[in-house]
Amino acid sequence: MKKLTLPICALFVALMFCGSAFAAGNTVVIGLQAPVTGAWAYEGQMAKQSCELAAALINKKGGVLGGKKLEIRVVDDAGEPRSSALAAQKFVTQRDVVAVVSTYGSSVCEPAATIYERFRKVNVGYGATAVRLSQNNMKYFFRTCGRDDSQGRFFADCATKTFRAKRIAIMHDNTAFGKGLAEDTRAALAPLVKAKKVQIVYYDAITPGEKDFKVPLTMLREKKPDVWYYTGYYAEAALLVGQAREIGITCPFVGGNAAINSEFVKIAGLKVAKGCYMTNEPLPADLTYPMAKEFLAAYKAKYGNIPSSPWPIYAADAVNILAYSINRVGSTDSAKLAAYLHNNVNGVRGITGPIGFTAYGDREGVPFYLYKVDARGNIVVTK
Amino acid sequence: MNVILEQIINGLTIGSFYALIALGYTMVYGVLKLINFAHGDFFTFGSYLGYTVLVYCAAFVTARFGIWGVLSVALVAAAISIALVGLIVERLAYRPVYKAGRLPAVVSALGASIFIQNAIMVIWGPRFQAYPSALIPSTNFTFGSVHISLLQILILALSFILMGALYYLVQRTTFGAAIRATAHDRKTAALMGININKVILFVFTLGPALGAMTGVLVGLYYRQISFTMGWNYGMKAFTASVLGGIGNIPGAMVGGLILGVLEMLGSAYISAAWKDVFVFIILILVLIFRPTGLLGEKTADKV
Repeated sequence: MKKLTLPICALFVALMFCGSAFAAGNTVVIGLQAPVTGAWAYEGQMAKQSCELAAALINKKGGVLGGKKLEIRVVDDAGEPRSSALAAQKFVTQRDVVAVVSTYGSSVCEPAATIYERFRKVNVGYGATAVRLSQNNMKYFFRTCGRDDSQGRFFADCATKTFRAKRIAIMHDNTAFGKGLAEDTRAALAPLVKAKKVQIVYYDAITPGEKDFKVPLTMLREKKPDVWYYTGYYAEAALLVGQAREIGITCPFVGGNAAINSEFVKIAGLKVAKGCYMTNEPLPADLTYPMAKEFLAAYKAKYGNIPSSPWPIYAADAVNILAYSINRVGSTDSAKLAAYLHNNVNGVRGITGPIGFTAYGDREGVPFYLYKVDARGNIVVTK
Repeated sequence: MNVILEQIINGLTIGSFYALIALGYTMVYGVLKLINFAHGDFFTFGSYLGYTVLVYCAAFVTARFGIWGVLSVALVAAAISIALVGLIVERLAYRPVYKAGRLPAVVSALGASIFIQNAIMVIWGPRFQAYPSALIPSTNFTFGSVHISLLQILILALSFILMGALYYLVQRTTFGAAIRATAHDRKTAALMGININKVILFVFTLGPALGAMTGVLVGLYYRQISFTMGWNYGMKAFTASVLGGIGNIPGAMVGGLILGVLEMLGSAYISAAWKDVFVFIILILVLIFRPTGLLGEKTADKV
């Protein structure tokens, strides 16, 4: 028996891998890389639900390539760059995966995008807004979400017009996204700083994954800012605002587009979350397009609530635009798909509005709004 | 001046969490020469158990014993349960590999750590959980312009009481002498008539119990818990115990508090982004000049 254990184990492992190769001939598989577990499990699970619903709606309308069913295959990347690289490698070895909808978090998306580019697999980001991602001349990388330089300019605008702030504190978390957005904001504020209209009194990073921020927050308090912009993710944002209010920071808190969602409200508690602001692409509840209404109604019917952040909707739009392109191109060839997405997708109707990609793969024309958490914990548009 | 005072209190609070967790690492290492990587996950498990008690049994217990009753129940329940878990892990993961050398023990410890972490994820789900707010009245005291909350005072008080009690036990009682003797030289201690198994049992009950209570305190203080937080705290606490001299119980306490204060200094006066770099540079310098840690004793090499 002992002599057979090793060959039997090897056979078992080989059979496990064969399973994925025996995919049925009449499904088209689109991969989804998402943080289903880990610090951003909330966002990852919403993205998974959203993509599966988008695929179900497409299948109901007749599927792709003349009746083939669209299937979403999810691989978890736990919100970590290392696991993201592993997930990407897994997808590139699966021949039946036509394209990948890849992931939330710019620092997590970056290693995956590099791997997909090397193996020439079309990948569409849905929750990765750092400017860096589209600056490497990648032909197979696209994203349906916006970019942080526009967000930085939007905040600079809000800081002076809405908050009338003279002293601005910018805090980030050293991730590709957080630092990128903070730098874009600082660049956008630079002309105002030069004209001596505003001052950036605090510019520093906290360490994500930690819980205690009282020390940097006390230093922030001593600088007496008029407004505080945090460009990191919601896990730390919830803790930051709670601790800030405890030690007596009273200035308005403005989060970047990853800082506030219903998980933030739940963890921080309504008392603390009330009155916090956020710069964000339009939230699902504020999308007025007919496709949006249809999709959100279906989402609500299946899962009870519409998503509280825009990223799952961008993921669904990624699925939609991929399915549309596959149908138009008539095949699942990566190079043809990438060329079609670059050259021929212009104003295709999507849940988040007309979809078009720039030469670098960025989404064209994404607006930003200022949101506020109201007394009941809902995130609503404000002026 | 006031800011420094407030920062020192913040640093000591973080430091006392590190100190309490570091005690678990150092006791196990001292007696068994084994780094218990699963200790960070005992801490997380205790935190989640406290969460379950507070969320599900709160109504029942508060009616009879009031808010302090609920908190005591949560602390004691977490401590006892995790003490049991510690014993089970020792029996299943460590005892079979004592004789096999250091490497199998390390691998076994890592395996236990991964197992417990994923068990927590499967039982409670991968999302963050939040301790109920407004459990402890959120009264803030202001001395001059120093803000300190009731919760912070309670945590500091409880941590120092626990550390003081353990210090007394280890330094001033006979059983404490037995623990120190076993940590020094296991074989000779056995020859001297000390019941080694009793010492190991004690170490694997008290260490995880302290870790679990720290977990509940961390949950109360920060309110947000996740199944991966054991890794972060465990790493810092292990660093603290090395800083103070691994195997040395007062060393773990001192190491933890110093680490907390160093983090505070680095974060406030250098940069919040570089604080870990600062802390680890200090650690490296300490180890270069005192390789056995701040309070560690130089043991002579037997030739």
